[in-house]
Amino acid sequence: MATEHYATHESSDSVKRKGLHEGPRNHFLAFALSLLLTLLAFIAIIFQNVLETWFLLSFIILLAILQAVIQAVFWMHLKDRGHLQQRIFFTGGAFIALTAIIMAVYWVWW
Amino acid sequence: MSAVDYSHAHGGQLPPEPENATLEGRNKILGFWMFLGAESVLFGTLFATFLALRSQVLDGPTEDELYKLVTVAIATFILLTSSMTSVLAIQAMHRHDTKGIQLWLGITVLFGLAFLGLEVYEFFAYVEEGHHFTGSAYSSAFYTLVGFHGAHVLFGVIWIGLIIAQLSKKGLTVVTAPKVYVAGLYWHFVDLVWVFIFTVVYLMGKVG
Repeated sequence: MATEHYATHESSDSVKRKGLHEGPRNHFLAFALSLLLTLLAFIAIIFQNVLETWFLLSFIILLAILQAVIQAVFWMHLKDRGHLQQRIFFTGGAFIALTAIIMAVYWVWW
Repeated sequence: MSAVDYSHAHGGQLPPEPENATLEGRNKILGFWMFLGAESVLFGTLFATFLALRSQVLDGPTEDELYKLVTVAIATFILLTSSMTSVLAIQAMHRHDTKGIQLWLGITVLFGLAFLGLEVYEFFAYVEEGHHFTGSAYSSAFYTLVGFHGAHVLFGVIWIGLIIAQLSKKGLTVVTAPKVYVAGLYWHFVDLVWVFIFTVVYLMGKVG
């Protein structure tokens, strides 16, 4: 079994080199972007007296979602070839989690 | 079977991606993604509870009085950096560099321990200020959510520590490689949950 699967991997080697072994460059890019987004969120909170509350809240939540997507896509390899099932499970989980959050907040406060 | 049997391969005989080389390895990674999907739901419900109850402080301190942004910022950068070092461990694995994997995983574990130390210090300070687990709906929701994440970090530290030890004993094989990969995924997920904790709990708590 193992050998057969390895053989199929070999045959698609040229495709794989593009998709998978891209080296650490993109990973460092994801790290730099994460650092930047984290810094932006903290800076936004420091300037909370200048900014409107609704804008501040949506801004930092947007930053968090953006950072989560960047890390999932680059660090957790969701962008890579052959990760469709992984995407389905993770998006499914995130969708149910978001539904639970909206439900709880709506249920208690409106 | 004319080709090489990779289940006993060591060093140079390993395939380029040892974590994907066997069906068992690929199933392990796929199964782990199902687990991560379920974990998202679990943390989602804890976030939901926290968001619904965050203003119910009774006579305890409010969020704005409690949180120290400096500590949170340091914890955030520690965990973010540890996520990056676990990426470097996977990169070392793709070079079949067992010592490199152990080095970077070791650094990841040290960052994890530093994060836990900060969290313990933070919780001690909160209890001093009258923020107890059973103090109010808010305090219970806070400690359950943040503490659950801390428990995940602790579990990850122990798990990755054991993987480092097992790599010393068994080396990098198609059996141990999926474990390294899956532990890396777990660590990224724990960092990803923290992104939402520092935003939703700490930063939003400061905004009020």
